[in-house]
Formats: sequence, structure tokens, C-alpha cells
Amino acid sequence: MVLLPDLQQHDEEVAEYNSATSSRSWYHNLLVAVALVFTLISVAFVATILWSSRSAWSSVSTLIGGRGWQSPTGPFGGLAMIVGTLETSIIALAIAVVIGLGTSIAIVFLIPRRLRTIVATCVELLAAVPSIVYGIWGLLVLAPFMLNTVDPWLNSWPLAQYIFGSPGQEFGTSLLLAAIVLAVMILPTFVAISREVISAVPQELMEASLSLGATRWQMIREVVLPTARIGLFGATFLSLARATGETVAVALVAGGVANVQFHLLYPGTSIASWIATEFGEAQGNEVAALMALGILLMVISFALSLVSRWLVNRQRKVLAMV
Amino acid sequence: MTNIDELTPVEDGHEMRALIRRTSNNQRARRVLISRVMMTLCAVAIAIAIVPLALLVYQLLRRGIPVLSTTFFTKLPESPSLTAPNATGGVSNAIIGSLALNIYASMMAIPIGVLAGVYLAESNSKLASTLRVIAQTMAGAPSILMGLFAFSLFVQDIKIGFTAIDGSFALAVLMLPVIAISSEISVRNVPNTLREAGLALGAKPHKISMKVVLPSALTGIVTGVILALSRAVGETAPVLLVIGGGYLNTWKPLDPVSALPLMIYTNAKSEWPSLRAEVWGIALVLVVVIFVLSLGARLWASRKQQVRN
Amino acid sequence: MEEIVSELTVNSPKQPEAPSALGPAAMKLDNVAVSFHGRTAVRDATFEVTKNRVTSLIGPSGSGKTTLLRALNRLHDLTPGTKVSGRITLEGEDIYRGNITVTELRSRVGMVFQRPNPFPTMSIYDNAVSGLRFNGIKKKEILDEAAETSLRAAALWESVSSRLKVSAGQLSGGEQQRLCIARALALDPEVLLMDEPTSALDPVATLRIEELMTTLKQRVTVVIVTHNMQQAARISDDCAFLLMGEDRAGELIEFGPTQKIFNDPTDSRTLDYTLGRFG
Repeated sequence: MVLLPDLQQHDEEVAEYNSATSSRSWYHNLLVAVALVFTLISVAFVATILWSSRSAWSSVSTLIGGRGWQSPTGPFGGLAMIVGTLETSIIALAIAVVIGLGTSIAIVFLIPRRLRTIVATCVELLAAVPSIVYGIWGLLVLAPFMLNTVDPWLNSWPLAQYIFGSPGQEFGTSLLLAAIVLAVMILPTFVAISREVISAVPQELMEASLSLGATRWQMIREVVLPTARIGLFGATFLSLARATGETVAVALVAGGVANVQFHLLYPGTSIASWIATEFGEAQGNEVAALMALGILLMVISFALSLVSRWLVNRQRKVLAMV
Repeated sequence: MTNIDELTPVEDGHEMRALIRRTSNNQRARRVLISRVMMTLCAVAIAIAIVPLALLVYQLLRRGIPVLSTTFFTKLPESPSLTAPNATGGVSNAIIGSLALNIYASMMAIPIGVLAGVYLAESNSKLASTLRVIAQTMAGAPSILMGLFAFSLFVQDIKIGFTAIDGSFALAVLMLPVIAISSEISVRNVPNTLREAGLALGAKPHKISMKVVLPSALTGIVTGVILALSRAVGETAPVLLVIGGGYLNTWKPLDPVSALPLMIYTNAKSEWPSLRAEVWGIALVLVVVIFVLSLGARLWASRKQQVRN
Repeated sequence: MEEIVSELTVNSPKQPEAPSALGPAAMKLDNVAVSFHGRTAVRDATFEVTKNRVTSLIGPSGSGKTTLLRALNRLHDLTPGTKVSGRITLEGEDIYRGNITVTELRSRVGMVFQRPNPFPTMSIYDNAVSGLRFNGIKKKEILDEAAETSLRAAALWESVSSRLKVSAGQLSGGEQQRLCIARALALDPEVLLMDEPTSALDPVATLRIEELMTTLKQRVTVVIVTHNMQQAARISDDCAFLLMGEDRAGELIEFGPTQKIFNDPTDSRTLDYTLGRFG
């Protein structure tokens, strides 16, 4: 993942360069045409899905607040999907951020310099593993393990039935499993970005803090992390975006049941995975409802993207000051 | 000028010094201990992070390798039955399908993506800044939306049915923003001195762009394209809804096709253990292809960089 | 586990070159050498840093001045493969093999760097007291007093006292550097190491910091690396001249009071340098 170079200086240079000659050459026109085509495709992207979903918006409150999904006639309630998306993504994010932060710190400050490129490459490769692979691993390896070992242990905790619900789904697929698989999936992404952001903190700041008598952890906690803070938030949002949009892995391991479910060991679903699983058999109104769920997903994704971009820009300004 | 009144007399310094020494000496052991503990926890974190990923790789190899065989690569799939529970056949339809889908997708996405990226790098018009925002937003969009887009456009509106072209389009829309963004970065990274040299020689900007800038940015652009491709190869959601899951080897754009990720998805849910076991082989092939593409792209790029230096 | 401890080799001590009869020594260097992965960067450093005087390390680039300076607060511990040999003492205590821990050493020997580097996410006040906070001092009264004292000592108080909570990034380059000086002074160190502190600043800012030196040395002992020998002549009391030898390692050529180094040096190479014949 690459952070974009400074835009303002570039734009000035480009303006200067372009003003050298004003050329309306065929090349220039071609580029503009292509840009327009791209824009058109993107607009069509939103427009066609929106258009396909139009009949579902007459009952917005059901779509967002309804608890049941009656196929093929309706009503189509999206609450279970929304709740499931939130639960799985947030838990996955919490796990991934805690472990990921520790991992990035370890990579930058504990691993010897020679090994760092290898580790960084491994992390990037892991981020490239397609989600379907994580999905089958979750379904075929992790689910039985959860069923036989982890679930009984979790259920033995006090207050277990409020969080987990005993005895849990009989196949081992559950919201918790989905959260765990998601966490494993977004971890490399989070680590890749946060490692880059942490390494970008200038060496002189670290030397300055150590020269004042700080311990290593103090240097990390009081200087490195605060300086990298905004970029770390960016990494968090990007990872959250990946988690909320994840389709097939969740489809395989969450259990695929449209219940508003707060007991983590029971099956649930998410917006993206519900679309994937129901679409094959859907007709007419149900298709429109699924398209509407797609719009919901789009809104969430665009909002997260907006926040991430804003954060990346802020981080650049912080570093520019040093 | 320094105002002498601003500077405190020396005598005060030593009282503070003693106090500072005392407190810091008292605190030191505690701070050092905390530091050791936290750094250990970070080491634990990286160990925890490695475990599931190592397990995944292990399972992939252990369960995937036995599945691979000539039959696997060359034969069409079969349905297991009670008399022949292990008759899974092969996945040649998915291999051909994936190839077809990605080739057609690349044909659509590469020209538009690269040129759009060049445009973004060389223009600072309103259109460019809007397009940049659009590209970044689309690049992060969940891939299932591309599938919905293709369905809506091709199946509902154009009414073409479930075909390879639908899936290719979905994948192309997926690759487009990624290629555009990385192309933009590559073109921007070309040092301005090259452009200025071209101007100084009296060349027109568009010629400079084509003959000087693009060749120089080519390595970065190709790397970006390969990385986008490696992502598209592994995606299930965009194709899941629209390609129809064909069971034959076909290159025709208007036929339904299968794809490697789709095959994994379908078989993983099957009630036949033999089919479920097969998915590991397909997954292994997929991962190997993606790794080769990713690593290859990076290695090639760094070698070109070295030559240049 | 925390930091990579530099290895030591014990050399037989040479006779110190120029015994300083000018007063008690804050730090003593005895045959100190620093090498990176076996390649010597600087050697033969033997001299005394006298209390409440400004000692400058001068010489052309590559002569190992900064490398030597950074050995004095064990900053080389951060770089694997670095060896520091010889003996460096602070108030008589060996800083590498003695009873003094690295964190304690660094709270007693402060450092100011070439480019101003205030912590960007902290305010002026927080920057000034950051050293105290790192060392576990939390009481507001102490921090406030230390902030004012150190900012005054760095000739910055008048300018910032009304905006202490403002981000440090709002200050100009020269002000930021003085903030870094204040930050180091807040711990009331015995020695202040300065690594070309004015080389990144404009002439006016440079002058303001040079003016600080006379008063600074009443509070702390200063060791300053500078590539600007006029600056050394202006502000320092004692001077160590280093030069890169044929083996590409810096060595101490001569040490003595600044007056002597510039007007009547013992070594001809020193004379050549101060007359501007090279460097």
C-alpha cells in the first residue's frame, strides 16, 4: 500500500509544465476521453445498482430495521445483516489492531535490520492471499476446532450465555468464527500499513527522546506512536473497510442465518455475505432488495474511504512539520 | 539581543538537580521493568500473529499437494456418486475459465486504467481531481458490488445472460481504479528533469509524454498492472453472481464459464468429502499463481531499478 | 535486551596529551576509539572536558567529530555492530562499564542535535518538560518551575511564555532549536552535548544561540561539535582538533585551550586547518 506523494507541489509543477505550450493534440484529447470514460463507468456503477434497487426503497424502514428476510416475497429486513456486519467487523478490528500494533512495533524495533525486508515481504504476500482461501481454512479447519475445543471452553466462562449463548451452533460456524477469520485476514493489511507509518517516524525524534533518558517503551509510547497516530488511524479504517466488505470468507463461516444475533457462538450473517448467498435463487423483488443492501454496503464503504483519505492527508502534514 | 535578566542565576540549578536525580533514580527500575514487559508483549504479539498464518500455509501444502495430478489439471469435473464417491474429475474448466476471464478483463482494464493514470499525473484540472477521488473510492469498494454492477448491466438491462463477458467486465471494473492509481504514481515518479530536458529540446508536451515519460514509467506501470491482475485472479465475489458456473472448457465470451475461486466456493460447501478435499488443491494453485505474480512483479521492478541506478 | 551494549576492549592507557590544569573534569576520555563493523571511524581520543567550560570538537568533515560526540551519551548503543573502546568517564565513573545505567547517563548528559527536532505532537511546554516526564517526574509545580527555568536559560521564555500550550511546530527554526536546548536543560544535566546545533539555522538564529554559550556554561559543561571554526574560536574555551588519517579513520591531532589552538598550535596540521588551508 503506497501513500500518495505530495499533491500541491506536483500540481504547481504540472501547471508550469502545461503552460509551456497549450496543446490540443490528439494525445491530450485521448487522455481526456479516457478519463471521461472512466468517470462514466464509475457513475454507471452507482446508477445501475441504484436503479435496480428502486422498488426496495419504498419500505426503507423495513430494509434497515426489519428483522426477518422472507424470500421470495418479502418483507426483506436488513437488520440482521447490518448487526452481523457490525459485530463481526468490530470484533475482528479489535483483535487485529491489538495484535497488529504489537506486531508492527516488534517488526520495527525488535527484528534485526537484515531480516526486516524478508518479514515485510512476507507480510505483503500474506495480504495478497485471496479471501476464499481464508474462507475454506475457516470452514474446513477452524470450524471443527472451534466446535470441539474452543466453544465448550468459552461456554464454561461465567456470564458465557449472555455473550456466547450455549451451546452454540452445532456446525461450529458462528459469528465469532467469522470475526476470528476476518481478524486473521485483515491483520497483514493492518501490519503492512502501520509498519510503514511507524518506520516513517524520523530517527532523530527517537534519538532525541532516548537522549533525554527515556526507555525504549517510553520512546515508542510517548513519541513514536503519537507521531504516527493519524496514520495508524488510517490503517485502522482501511482494515475496517476490508472487514466490512468481505464476502466469501464470511459467507462460508458465519453460518448464513438471517437472525439478529447477539450470541456470538450462533450463526449470523453480514450484508456482503448475505447478498452472495441469496442472490443465486433470488427473483424480482428480492433481487431489488439485495441490490438495496448493495447500496447500503456502498455507502458504508465510501464513508470509510473518505475518512481514510482525510487521515492520510493529515498524517502527511504532521510528518512535514518535522 | 539576549536580555541578561532572562537568565537565572546559577545557584538555583543545584537544588532542582538533586530533586530531579532523586526522583528519577527512584523511578528508574520501574520504568525499565515496564519497558521490558511491553517489549516482551510485542514479541508475543508477533508470535501470535504468525501462528494462524503459518497454520494456514501448512494446511494448504499438506492438503493441497496430494490433490494435484494430471487429471486435476486436464480433466473436466465429474460428480461423485454413491458408487464412485471420489470421482471428482479435474478442474480444467475453472482453469480455462479463469484464464479467459482475466485476459478479457485485462484487455478492457489496462488501456483505460493506464491512460487514466497518465491523465491524472499530467493534469491538474477539475476532472483530474474528481477522477482521483473516484478512483481511490472505487479501489476500496467491496468486490461484490462489481458483481452487482455486472448483473444489473448485463443480465438485467442488456439481457445477455450469465456469460464470461459479464464476469470479465466485473473484474475489469475491479482492476481499473487500482491500475489507474498505480500508473499515476509511476508517471509522477518520473523525475521532472526528464520532462524539462524534453522541453528544452523544443519537443511538444504530448510527444514528451509519449516518448520520454511513459517509457520511463513503464516498469512501475507494469508492476501495478500485474499486482492488480493478481488481485483479480483470486476474487470470487465479482464473478460469483454472473458467470454461470459453466462445466465446459470454453473461451467464448458469451458462454457461461467457471473460475478457480468460484470452484473453491462451490465445492467447499459440498456434502461430498472428496469435493471438499479438492478445494485445497485449487486453493494451492491459486495461491501459487498469485505469489508468483506478486513476487515476480516486485523482483522484476527492483532489478530494473538497479539497472537504472 | 533493551539496548545493544557496545563491547569494550581494554587498552593500556596512554599518557594524556594535554593535561588540563584548568579545573575539575566533568568527563575524561582515554584512548577512545569507535568502530563500525570493524572499520574504525575515530581513534586516539584522549582529553579532558573541564567543568563549566565549552569544549569544541573541530575539524573537516569525515574526521569523526560527531561519531566521538555520540559515544559520550552512548547513542551508538542503538547501532548494532558498533564498538567503543577506551575509557570514557563521567565524574570519574566509567560510562560503559561502570555502575551507571544508560538511562541515568542520558539524564545527566543531554544532547542537542543538528536539525531542530522538537516532538511534533507536543506543545512547547510539553516539549520542555518531556525529559522530566520520561524520568518519572510528574508533579506540576516541579514541571512548571523546570519549564520556566530552562526556557529562560535558552533565552526563549519572553517569546513563548504566553503561548506555552501551542504546538512546537509553530516556532521558527531558531526558536525550535532553542526549545530543544531548553528541553535538554530541563533535566539540569551535568554535560550538554551539541552536534553542530547552528548549521541548519540562519545567521541571526545562529548568533542568538552563540550568545547563549557564555551563560550556558555557568550551568552546564558544554561539548560542541562544529564544522565552523570561526564559531569555535568565538565560543569555546578548549578545543580538540580531529583529522581524517590515511586509513580513513579520524584521529585526535591536538587538544588545548582555544587560544593556543588558534594562535600557537603544536601541530602543523592544526595550523593549516585554522588558517583555512584546507577543510
